Amino acid sequence: MKFQVLFFGATAAEVGKRGIEFDLAEQTKAAEVFDKIVADFPQLKRHSLLFAVNQEYASGGEMINDGDELAIFTAVSGG
Amino acid sequence: MTKDNERKSFFEITNEPLDVGGIARRVVPSECGATVTLDGYVRQWTKGRETLYLEYEAYEPMALREMEKLIERARGQFEIAHAGIVHRLGRMQIGETSVIISVAAPHRRAAFEACEWLIKELKCTVPIWKKEVYAGGETWVEGDTK
Repeated sequence: MKFQVLFFGATAAEVGKRGIEFDLAEQTKAAEVFDKIVADFPQLKRHSLLFAVNQEYASGGEMINDGDELAIFTAVSGG
Repeated sequence: MTKDNERKSFFEITNEPLDVGGIARRVVPSECGATVTLDGYVRQWTKGRETLYLEYEAYEPMALREMEKLIERARGQFEIAHAGIVHRLGRMQIGETSVIISVAAPHRRAAFEACEWLIKELKCTVPIWKKEVYAGGETWVEGDTK
């Protein structure tokens, strides 16, 4: 099961990339993927983070499917 | 007529400079009497620090979806006909317009209220971020989560 995790703004700056490709054998909940990424990039803990699955705000309970698009970003600041 | 009217609401993201007047005139249906337009532009001073310029980036497809939802919600909550939201991305100098929100309504009060509601919600929900560049540093601005 392959999917993408995208970063923007402050999270992209912290991680040093715009996105990561994931390849997992088992079906996983979004929250587990997000926890793993925060563990891999602990500098993200300096921020209050928001999560999205397939371009919708995520609660974490979503099951991730092949081809999904996840995103991790900080509180938005447009306008 | 209804279908034409629905088409008058719009939400866009662009890298080009924004023409406030032109965008405002896109929401002027004949059944309305007032269009309220917010012209949001880059401020020089924030909390005593001088900004040199701002750089905006977006999670574009999600930002467009969130903008569309905001317009739908605004049309459900306020007595308005149409609303248009356009946000610019990239580097912007002091005084350059970053966002325009135009709301047309039969009567002005609803247009003012909806415009204020839309910018407030946009700042909380639409995935766009600004990087503030000042003398001696830069920082990604983090908004408030509701």
